[in-house]
Parts: sequence; C-alpha cells; structure tokens
Amino acid sequence: MWKTILRRFLVMLPQVFILSIIVFALAQAMPGDPFTGLITPETDPAVIENLREQAGLNDPIPVQYVRWLGNALQGDFGQSYTYKISVGSIIGQRASNTVLLSLLSFILTYAIAIPLGMLAGRYNNSILDKMVVVYNYVSYAIPTFVLALLMLWLFGYTMNWFPTSGSVDVTIPAGTMEYYLDKAYHLILPAITYALLGTTMIIQYLRSEVVDAKTQDYVKTARSKGVPEKVVYSRHIFRNSALPIASTMGYQITGLIGGSVFIEQIFAFPGMGQLFISSLNSRDYSVIVALTLLFGVATLVGTLLSDIIMTIVDPRIRID
Amino acid sequence: MNKRKLGLLTGSAALALILAACGGGSDEGTESSANGNDGAASEGTEESGVVEFETAVTNEGEAMDGGTLNVALVTSSPFQGLFSLELYEDGYDADLMQFAIEEIFSTDENFQITNDGAVSLDFNQEAKTATLTVNEGVTWSDGEPMTSEDLLYSYEVIGSPDYTGIRYDSTMTNIVGMEEYNSGEADTISGITVNDDKSITIQYLEVHPGMLQSGGGIWAGAMPKHQLENIAIKDLESSDEIRKNPIGFGPFAVSNVVPGESVEFVANEHYYKGVPKLDKVVVEVVPPESIVAALQNGEYDIALSMPTNEYPTFADLPGYTILGRQELAYTYIGFKLGEWDAENSEVVPNPDAKMSSKELRQAMGYAIDNNAVATQFYNGLRSNANSAIAPVFEDFWAEDVEGYSYDPDKAAQLLDDAGFEDVDGDGFREDQNGEELVINFASMAGGDTAEPIAEYYMQSWKQVGLNVKLTDGRLLEFNSFYDRVEADDEAIDIYQAAWGTGTDPNPEGLYGRNSAFNYTRWATDENDAFLDNISGRTSDDEGDAWDKEWLTEQYREWQAYFSEEAPIIPTLFRNEVLPVNDRVANYDWGYDADPSFGWHAVGVTQDEAITE
Repeated sequence: MWKTILRRFLVMLPQVFILSIIVFALAQAMPGDPFTGLITPETDPAVIENLREQAGLNDPIPVQYVRWLGNALQGDFGQSYTYKISVGSIIGQRASNTVLLSLLSFILTYAIAIPLGMLAGRYNNSILDKMVVVYNYVSYAIPTFVLALLMLWLFGYTMNWFPTSGSVDVTIPAGTMEYYLDKAYHLILPAITYALLGTTMIIQYLRSEVVDAKTQDYVKTARSKGVPEKVVYSRHIFRNSALPIASTMGYQITGLIGGSVFIEQIFAFPGMGQLFISSLNSRDYSVIVALTLLFGVATLVGTLLSDIIMTIVDPRIRID
Repeated sequence: MNKRKLGLLTGSAALALILAACGGGSDEGTESSANGNDGAASEGTEESGVVEFETAVTNEGEAMDGGTLNVALVTSSPFQGLFSLELYEDGYDADLMQFAIEEIFSTDENFQITNDGAVSLDFNQEAKTATLTVNEGVTWSDGEPMTSEDLLYSYEVIGSPDYTGIRYDSTMTNIVGMEEYNSGEADTISGITVNDDKSITIQYLEVHPGMLQSGGGIWAGAMPKHQLENIAIKDLESSDEIRKNPIGFGPFAVSNVVPGESVEFVANEHYYKGVPKLDKVVVEVVPPESIVAALQNGEYDIALSMPTNEYPTFADLPGYTILGRQELAYTYIGFKLGEWDAENSEVVPNPDAKMSSKELRQAMGYAIDNNAVATQFYNGLRSNANSAIAPVFEDFWAEDVEGYSYDPDKAAQLLDDAGFEDVDGDGFREDQNGEELVINFASMAGGDTAEPIAEYYMQSWKQVGLNVKLTDGRLLEFNSFYDRVEADDEAIDIYQAAWGTGTDPNPEGLYGRNSAFNYTRWATDENDAFLDNISGRTSDDEGDAWDKEWLTEQYREWQAYFSEEAPIIPTLFRNEVLPVNDRVANYDWGYDADPSFGWHAVGVTQDEAITE
C-alpha cells in the first residue's frame, strides 16, 4: 500500500504542474489587473506603468510563469497585491480561522448525522424516522445564507447566546486563556450552522444502507448466534453501512480548507472562502493562483485519503 | 489622491466602494446644516421625494466621563489593515484610521487648508514655496513630539524608488528635485529644506490655486520617523509598525488589531486638542446583511459606510438618529467622442463619432427622469445632478445651471430639429444621413438596481425614438467595464459611470485634454481655455485664479459651457447616511467643520446604547 501511495503522489506532480499553468494563464486572461480602480487622475500614467513593470505584469505570460514557478518551488508565492503582505501570511491568517471552524463543524456534522442516520434506519417508518427525513429535506432545501441569517437572528440577536460577528473579541489581549475561550465561543454558532447543512447526505446514505442491511444474511447470522441487538447495529451493520460515508470522508477532510463564503460573510468571520472571492474581484493574481493550487492539491490528496480510509473500513478493498 | 472611479452603488456593492472614502479632509463640523448644502436639498424636496438629513446629533444629556464607543464598519469583506496615509489604498482602512491617524492640515467647509490643524501652512505663490510648521504641542501618541523630520520622512518614503504605494503622482513630481530622488540619482530631495526642528520649506516647480485645497497638491501626511526609520521602505506595508502598532497623532491610538475583523483604540492622552472624553473606541466589521439587526439590539453606536440601498429598513430605527450628507461624487452618462493618443498623452476628438451631435446628447439628457430614478431606485437618497461639480463645494457649484431634467417633448424637438428622423418607419430614428442609428450603452453590474436602472434608461430613450442597446447585451463587470471604457472599445458609444471627485473640485483631471481619465475623449479649445484659467495657467484683465471671486466665476462659466456641450450628462448626486445612537453626544458629520470639534469631543451619555 505504501508503494501505491508513493506512486499516487508522483502522479500528482504533473497534475499540479498542469493545473498551475492553466490557473496562471486564466487568471491573467481576466479583464483588468490589480491596478485597475486604484489609479487617480493626478497619477501620471507612467507611474502606473512603472508599478506594472515592477510587478512584472508587462512581461509575456510564459516569462511571468517561469519566474513565478522558480519562486514557488522555493516556497515563495509572491506578495498579495491587495493585502500587501506575502501570500503565505495572508493564507496562513485565513486558513487558521477556516481550519478551526471547519474542524469543529466537521466533528459536529458527524456527531449529528451518524446517530440520526443509524436511528432512522433502525426504526424506519417510525415517527422518529419520519422526523429525521423531514429534517433532512429541510436542511437540504434551505439555502446556506437563509439558515445562517436565521441562526444569527435567533441565537445571536434574539436570545443573545452567542457573539454575532468576528472570530474573537478585540478587547481581550491575545495569548490569555480568556482569549482562547472567546475564540471557541465565537466558533460555535457558525460551526453549528455549517454542520447542520452538511448532514443531509450522510444521514440519507446511512439510513438507506441500514435499512438494506437489516435483512442481509450476515445480520441474520449474527442475530441467530445470539449477538445482542445493540451490538448487531453498532458493530455489524454500522461497519458495512458506513462504507459510502467513508468513501467521501477524504474529500470532506480536505474540504475543510476551502471555507464557506456565505457563512464567513454573514458571521464576519475572515476565512478562505472570502479570501478567494475577494482576490478574484480585485485581480489579486498571486493569491488566486496560490489558492487554486492549494484547493487543487487538497482535492488530489482528498481522493487518496478517501481510498486509504476505504481500505481501513473495508478490508476487502485493496488499493494497488 | 482624490478622484476615483466609482461603481454605481454605494453600500454593499463590493468593489465600488473601495473608492469612495479617500481623502476627505476632516469629518467633523459644528452646527447642523441640512445636508452640507441647502441649495442642493431645496432643489428637489417634497414633491421629488428626495430625503433631507441633519448632519449633527443634538442629543440631550451630559456626556459622562469615559465610556466606550462601539462602531460598526459595514462591509462584506475583511479590511486590509494598512494604517498609514502614505500606504493605504482601501476606503475602509481610511474609515478605521480616522480615529488615530489624522491629516496634518485642518480644512474649512470648502475643503481649503486652514492653520488650525497640527501643521500650519505658509504658501508663497511668488516664490513657489510652501512652508510647513508643526504647531505647538503636537505629539505622537507615544509621547514623542512631532518634528520637521517627520514631515520630511513622509515625502522621502513616497518619493523613494522602493515605495510600493500609489501616492507618487504629479503632486509629488511637482517638487523640485523629486524626480532625481525617485530615480536614485540624488540621496535627498533638493527642493525640501529643513528650516529647524519644527518646519520645512518645499520648493515647487509650478504652483496653482488648487494647491490650497485639501488634496490639491500639498501632501497631508506625516510619518513618525522615530518609529519607522529602521524599517526598509519596501517592507513598510507588511510591517507590524503599520499594521498592528501604528503611531499617529490623532485623538485615539490603536491598541489592538484582529486582522480583517476589528480594531480597538484607546484615548491618546497626548492629543494636541485635548484629552478625549471617551476611554475607548472599538470598531468591528459587520456584514450588511445583519447590520440592521445589530443596531436594533443596540450593539453599535455608529455604523460607518452604511448601505444606502437598505435605507427603508433602518430609517426609523428606535434609539438612532440617521445623519446624512452629500458624497463627493456624482453619477453620469458619458458619450464617447474620440480616442486617446497614449503616445502624446492627449485626447483626439473624432468629429464623425456616432455621438458627435450635441443635440443628440442633449436630447438623451432630457429624455431621462433622474428624479424618478433617485426616488424609485435609491429611496430618495440621491437627487438629480445639474452639474459635474458637487453642490458640497458651495462656492464653486453653479446652482443656476439647469442641467438636464425630464422633458421628453424637448428631447423629441431637439432630435427633429437636428435631423434625426424616423425615415424607414420602424419606430426608431435614423441618423442625420438617414442611416440606421443603434447606440451601444455600457453599464456596470452590481446590486439589485443596476439592471432595472439600465432598462429604465433604455426605455426612456426608446420613447423619444432612439434605439439604445446594451453593449454585449448584458451588464459588464466592474473591471471589464473600466478596461473597455479606457480602451475606447468600439462596442461602447455611451456609458453610465460615476466619479468620486475628492476634495479638490478642479475638473481638469477628469475633463482636460491631457487627462487619460477624460473617458469621453472630448476636448475643445474653449474648454482648454476655461481649464487653463481654473488651474491658474492663464488669467485675464479682470483677475487671476488666486482671486477667489474671479476663480468662482470661471468655475461657474465652465459649468454652464460644459452643461451646454454635454460630453456627459450628470445624472445623480449621492447622499451617504450614518446611523448614530442617541447616547452619543457632540457628534457632527458635516463638512463645515469647526476644528475644535472632533472625535476627542465625542462622548456618550450612558453606559448602554439606547434602543427605544
């Protein structure tokens, strides 16, 4: 298996390389450049030309690409045109927020979805099952921003249970215990919102798999051996029913880094989704390219992770 | 640093408003006058539905000692966080900075420099020099007194070959020796002399009356050299000294920054106008979607850059007064009349351009009802514009220029007389040679109202028999729009755009023969003559541009001429609004500033915001 993983990594290199060429060329093909909209009538056009020249935007795209590649190989993705700090630090700032938020919501998603899915499957057609199905329809149908605004209005403004914006209270000095607790406090509401939206597929898969599995021979065998009902569900059925979920878990893990534009905007939580959108709007090339590559690599790694998780969950599956 | 391309919508339309807030001298004022200018408001009151505002809060009760002012900065994306007048590019950074980093000059209601600020200006037009002297008691927030070195350092940073910002412009190259310094040939700027530890003298190549205007030519920043001198200039913008611990001489000092989210300020006890009443100011980014709910809960005392498109939802918010004032901006419809010759940096008008008929342009102006647009689409927060100078510039704005108001009969008459007639009977007029006339209209996407407004304009023109179609059949994205307008794209005959004019009303930067921003590519000898007069290059027997009355007359005559020629039809003046909680005392948002007012004078009357 280690050989396979190594091989998959080697295949990734040309994939990432080709992706980087495409992204680089497409980013530059967008109308405008980072200096559009900044320029004022008092500015001598020559000065702007000079800024473009300094940024190397006047060179042919292949030349720019090679220069960028040379730097990128040394880990230098350049400077953000908008934020004026290195691409690494701006992505770092946002990624730390996003990863925390996604990780918590990832855990919450599974913590909500797995019990609901199992119970709905086990007692299918009961009142409980029907409630879960209704919940599923609602959470699937509701647009992200509607739920986010609803949560914000209900728990933020009406009940005043949670802070309504930002990732931390600015008046608390960084590094203290209070600071970290406040950070966690700020995470809860957006994370729950995010988690509620992500449960649909897991519940639906799990429920139908469990309903299917209940009549399978191995379950009958287990029951006839006298295995307690609880254990039949938690060991035998769960393990088999979890396969489709496991197959997507890898993606979910790497999806953690992508962030959610709507949630970030509504909770004024600076994260990766917003960074990506704003960099596109302001033609912040260096950030666009770095982020797209990052997302690309994350997808590739996600596929691999999914395969690995599958082999762990289901020993019948071998990757080689 | 002042004029800016604008989108059509202020408020939540992402990119558009990067552009607005730059440069405006001081934001405080004394007594309340309606809307910065009475004439503008009275022009279209009741019947037109244009809303009038106060510019100051008149709250009862004594301000208590101390307290925290909670400020919301309404935007859907995190702020950039460059706290330096020399380096910032985004208007939101300016909104944040205003509490800690001030401009060195104070200005009056016409945005002219006065000597009440941190630095006094002694301008000598004969010798072409300006002497800047730091006033008594002006101290950085860390306690260090401001010196002439700090004034000089600002120039040295902007002029440096390593400078990364956008402020190295014609106002800088106008300083003797600046270009040599910028190219690296000289180590110092030969035109700037340090007189003593409080004053410097700047020698200019050219001087003009606009230089006495805020943002008109004399740089208004100073940098704390003692803090910044050991940081390489190219690293300034990523340094903690700019992003986390900036030092200013404003009423408050930055004490904590959460990047992109919030900034905490504490009172600057060294402030030269006196110790602030408040202990703290906390500014947080709040998305436009939830700002109204946040205000209902009394979470914020003031909401900066409040989206005007949601005005009806907060117009009657309990516990809040909605202040309003005019933006230094106008929306317009421009007609493409030539091309830009980049080589010679000049406009080349094309007498055969599709829109070259003056009557056609005027008719298009008369065909549209801007008051209806202002009330129906903008909730009365905008008003019909009569001129390319905003009424905020009370002395320069020509109130008597009528501009273009809705009169479809007159439009039809103008077109008939000029020979635009419907020859083939398809309901649309042909051009003067009897050939089909299709006018391509470029307009920007952004916000809910962009599409219906563009549709409305096209329908109005259709009613006078003009066939106007959207360029590409759809609205254009901001960047793409300006790219194509700048490049004189043939698919654009007319376009709708906006200018933020900044605090210098001189129209030359936007309509001069040598201005690349003269997007209509319109130029005439008469216009050149007016602009020469306004910019002080020429004068006549009556006087010259240093003579305020004469200059005012030139401005007015130019506006009448410009309106008649109609290379653009100004469509809307804009208002911005600011909800202020009723516990806030002594706050004034007017442009007509009394220098003794300011954030240091603002207080709160009770601990919690009022929500009833």
